[in-house]
Amino acid sequence: MRKIFLVIMMLLGLNLFAAETIKVGALVDLSGGTADVGKPYADGIKDCVKWFNENGGINGRQIELLIVDYGYKIPNALAAYKEFKMKKVVAIHGWGTGDTEALTKFVAEDKMPYVSASYSEHLADGKKKPYNFFVGASYSDQTEAALKFVKDKGGKNVAFIYNNTGFGRSPFFPDGENAAKKLGLNLVDKQVVDLKALDATAQMLNLKKSGAQYAIIQETYMATSTILKDAKKNGLNTRFIGLNWTFDKPLIKIAGAASEGFYGVSPFAFWDEDNNEGIRFLKQLNKKYNPSIQEREVNYVQGFASMYVLLSAIKNVKGKITGEAIKYSLESMKNFNTMGLTPPVTFTKDVHKGVRAAKIYEIKNGKIVPVTGVITLD
Amino acid sequence: MNYINCGNFKTSYEKDAAIYQTTFSKICIYSFLIGLFVLPFFLNSYLLYIMNMIFISVIAAVGLNILTGFTGLISLGHGAFIGVGAFAAGYLISKFSFGFFIIIPLAAIITSMVGVIFGTPSLRLKDLYLSIATLAAQFILEFIFIRAERITGGVNGMPVDAPVFFGYTIDNDFRFYFFSLIYTIIMVTAAKNIIRTKIGRAFVSIRDNYIAAETMGVDLFRYKLLSFAISSFYAGVAGALWAYYVRFITPEHFTINVSIQYLSMIIIGGLGSILGSIFGTIFMVVLPELLRHIIGIFSHYLPVLEQIFPAIREAFYGLVIILFLLFEPEGLARRWNLIKAYWKLWPFSY
Repeated sequence: MRKIFLVIMMLLGLNLFAAETIKVGALVDLSGGTADVGKPYADGIKDCVKWFNENGGINGRQIELLIVDYGYKIPNALAAYKEFKMKKVVAIHGWGTGDTEALTKFVAEDKMPYVSASYSEHLADGKKKPYNFFVGASYSDQTEAALKFVKDKGGKNVAFIYNNTGFGRSPFFPDGENAAKKLGLNLVDKQVVDLKALDATAQMLNLKKSGAQYAIIQETYMATSTILKDAKKNGLNTRFIGLNWTFDKPLIKIAGAASEGFYGVSPFAFWDEDNNEGIRFLKQLNKKYNPSIQEREVNYVQGFASMYVLLSAIKNVKGKITGEAIKYSLESMKNFNTMGLTPPVTFTKDVHKGVRAAKIYEIKNGKIVPVTGVITLD
Repeated sequence: MNYINCGNFKTSYEKDAAIYQTTFSKICIYSFLIGLFVLPFFLNSYLLYIMNMIFISVIAAVGLNILTGFTGLISLGHGAFIGVGAFAAGYLISKFSFGFFIIIPLAAIITSMVGVIFGTPSLRLKDLYLSIATLAAQFILEFIFIRAERITGGVNGMPVDAPVFFGYTIDNDFRFYFFSLIYTIIMVTAAKNIIRTKIGRAFVSIRDNYIAAETMGVDLFRYKLLSFAISSFYAGVAGALWAYYVRFITPEHFTINVSIQYLSMIIIGGLGSILGSIFGTIFMVVLPELLRHIIGIFSHYLPVLEQIFPAIREAFYGLVIILFLLFEPEGLARRWNLIKAYWKLWPFSY
């Protein structure tokens, strides 16, 4: 047994680089339940670090990115976190809701700034979760935007579709329910569809019976396409609105014609928005780094933007780079410009959600078209 | 299969059931234990984490082996039982200000009561049918974890305070190492002794032939439920330790995957062997981490690997398990005995 440990130690030793670099950890999912969105996201993170390093790094120091694929499993996330800590990373870019929650206590104790790809509203509380941040509009805010949109369209009866995980329930209970009540909408149905579901006929028939005009979906591409296909098969008149993880090109590819007329709430810029400064920049960068890939998912943009914010915050630190200094630097970001990849990013001492605006898009003839301007959320 | 030195013969059943077969084995075990207490002073926090995970998992795996390996009742609900232990501990900690030495046994007792409830079908059901019944337990409990928000905190999970031992807060890997090591030693010793008593022999007789066992006067229902109770008690202790270690419990952790992982631990280690549960656990905890590091090294030279690895990792993991079942069907425990036997006769075999 000890021999194995010696081997592990040696292997770890080999991995250690010169001390001059700034180490940043990244927890990504390339093989687990959310790998469909996790892979492009991880590419975004990597390219962002590469670009920073090519342009002088952080005040002359190179960034060393330690990437761990944790397969969407909490114990693996813990193991990776302990390893990051041992290798003395200055900040971590994390991933899902469950694992981010599980690490909250540790990151607060170790003063480790932790930017997650989970936009759960209660990670945004700077008092309770002092070291958790995210660059995005919270799920609850997105739901509220969707509900307002429904009201503007004259809708009355709404339904929620989610999966029974922290990620799935976060936008609706209790925030989404309260928002619906406040806006005077009737919440007529709640349906559970698993993240990897390939059949949602029973749920769709229930939804049909409930008479919901609009249904808000919190899933990833896979389950969303199942929902849309089965809704079409069963002749539902319900219009669907997806939150940010449901909505982009891959969905159109999987769901095909069933995705026609699907609405999506997203605070991020899509790859086709050629008039967006950030997208133009990313297209150039992508041509240089990955000439074989012509098109990128919105998750790539998310990953890039999120890492861009974190690295910029580290860059802005005056003096020694410590967890506290990075937290302070993040919290002093006011209307930080991400080249238009997201609306301007603002963190305060108490509110750790970076983005408070989103747009609603619709899929028309296989293209993503904005149907509203920027909606400000609070 | 037993490999015993020439001249080492036994004259009584007590001697045959002794834990320390020879003075030499006694010395080995004690020095190993002392070694375990010295080890953490040389480990960094990452290796300490792996050791802690091994300790916690060993307790749960030993519990499952008592149920599946010794009594022959397959359980696919062990992951959920660990969850019951974790949530029970979390709930008790949030409501009462007891120390951990009361919380952990209480949580374990609650878990063992839940285990008995879900073990009741075992009177009528055997083998695959029972495994499906325990699978139901897994899903029912998972559902309860998510929906019983007042007790478990629902999908948002539940924060837990670190244990305090006479003024020392056990809040880092180094301190937790001793905490979990002591619990592991207690629980493993207890298991070893349960197996040596009447209860253990009743379990084995039920596994080997339940009709013969009943004719011999073994009360099937009572012993089957007792097996469930003991096994869940172990799961409860492991769950409570996990809660204390991670200090945040979410239902997402206690899924069917965890149950299957524990089953594979005891199959790889050796069904019906306490030592086997320990080997199996070490194997299953260390293998994925080791794989990750090996690939990490190689991908410095071959960046392609980094792209392919995520896709093949799970497959590779499965392959290792299949190979194990093919070439070592009786588990690592048997291989250990073979190695021991080889060195006993080395260099001059008969």
